[in-house]
Amino acid sequence: MIKVDDVTKKFGNVIAVNSATLNIQQGESVALLGANGAGKSTLIKCILGLLEYKGIIEIQNRDIKENLKLSKSLIGYVPQEPLFYDMKVLNILDFFASIRGVDKNRVNILLELVGLEDHKSKLASELSGGMRQRLSFAIGLLSDPPVLILDEPTSNLDANARGDFLNLVKAHKDQGKTVLFSSHRLDEVNHIADRVVFMKSGKVIIDEKPENLATSLGIKVKINLRIPQVHISDAVSILKKEGFETVSRNGSGIYVEVDEGQRAIPLEKLIQGQIPIEDFTLEESSMETVINHIEANGY
Amino acid sequence: MDTKNVILIMKKEAGESLKNRWFILYTLCFSALALLVLLFSTMGGDIAGFSGFGRTAASIINLVLLFVPLIAIITGGVSISQERENGTLPYLLSHPINKNEIFVGKFLGILIAIWSSILLGFGLAGLGVALRGGQGEITGYLLTVLLSALLAACFLSIGFLVSVYSGKASKAIGISVFLWLLFIILGDLGIMGTTVAMDLGIKQVFVLALLNPAEVFKIASVLVLSPRFEILGPVGVYAVRTFGQQGVFYLLFSIMLLWVLVPFGYAYFVFTRFKKEEK
Repeated sequence: MIKVDDVTKKFGNVIAVNSATLNIQQGESVALLGANGAGKSTLIKCILGLLEYKGIIEIQNRDIKENLKLSKSLIGYVPQEPLFYDMKVLNILDFFASIRGVDKNRVNILLELVGLEDHKSKLASELSGGMRQRLSFAIGLLSDPPVLILDEPTSNLDANARGDFLNLVKAHKDQGKTVLFSSHRLDEVNHIADRVVFMKSGKVIIDEKPENLATSLGIKVKINLRIPQVHISDAVSILKKEGFETVSRNGSGIYVEVDEGQRAIPLEKLIQGQIPIEDFTLEESSMETVINHIEANGY
Repeated sequence: MDTKNVILIMKKEAGESLKNRWFILYTLCFSALALLVLLFSTMGGDIAGFSGFGRTAASIINLVLLFVPLIAIITGGVSISQERENGTLPYLLSHPINKNEIFVGKFLGILIAIWSSILLGFGLAGLGVALRGGQGEITGYLLTVLLSALLAACFLSIGFLVSVYSGKASKAIGISVFLWLLFIILGDLGIMGTTVAMDLGIKQVFVLALLNPAEVFKIASVLVLSPRFEILGPVGVYAVRTFGQQGVFYLLFSIMLLWVLVPFGYAYFVFTRFKKEEK
């Protein structure tokens, strides 16, 4: 569906995208991860035909340089900060519906879908961040395009708005749309992505399934276990004997690091060893952890 | 180029311009001053060959020379630079619409808005003249309206050229105001100064005047309003004797058309072909 072949983009002497290659199949959802300046947004803008580049980008087997308008009609784009003309919500949707040659009835359907039917007479400048993002998503869906491209769509949203927005995206992914999105958040990746593409200094350095990302990088999950004081020494001994290298005492229990996908094992071993567990908390890997890990250790 | 997209952008631009508070203020000022001019110009009889419609138009010319180029060059100047600065242009371009459709649509939309305000000003003044039983050649009045519309198109084209080279609206406004000063305020002084300093002949002065669209508009307007072309001075006499009265008008009209087409074409080329990237 989307083929990015050896794409390079330079701004003067700065290489923003460096020989990036990426293939996204129909119905697949791919997350573009990376630190600020890694080249995610630049690659997205190349795919949208907004920037000149070297290499080949194809949408549905058509080179976008030769079929720019057609390629853009196949993509619904949601930018990081949606910027609209200061018109009423309904007029904005009508305007973009006309550009995409879409029946005006579709506008009403989408207003309802994104929950903006009660706000259709408001000016874009009167909408909250979440509403603007939903409006942007509705515009992206106007022509029911097979591809959705989202550039850090939730970076300016609060937790509730982010959850609502991700559910909307997930629903469309489940309906078979091809989704490419950039993000700074691992929870979003786990929620939506089938594959994770990690960029660093303009290069694609990781192309993995999300569940394998932490394992591939050797990133551990940290577990804090609350255990009665009298059992702490036994608990440490049991876990060390079972091969857990990083086990230590903390104030009210113990702290242990495990590989991704092995969260339950220390609990299981302690229960087998008749150690009562009063409570436990997990410290999941954050995007920052992943980026720091890659910056420090490479891949 | 998809005409549907051009019309869509044109309608949006015209609508936004007509709702813009600065544009409304400009239109109100221009119309009010045109009516004021009407009031004074209809007092007294025939002056320097002008009467009724002719004298009103001759008075409005000075208003047109001040107001129309200023609003046209500034509106043109911010047209693309502002969209580039606030990010709406890249977002628009992420949809199936081409740069050439956006460019032509924006130009036509803003031009329609400016022409509407010119028509309102001239229309009110013309109506006033007619109601007061004004006499004179209405063709000259209508030709002045046409020349004013062309002057607006000239400065809008220059504004668009400024806009395609500007990444920020503030920079575009600065350059536009400077060019307006150069063409309108310093134009006459420049010609006079150059003539004295370089001891130019009549032919050279005429050629120098043709380099400024505002001067061209001024000469053409006086020519269509008065049979007494001597009021244009020695340069006017030279021009009429060399090309004939009709010939001079066609020459001036063609030069104004060139002032529309050349900046427009160059700005179009820069915007659509030169691939200035919309980050």
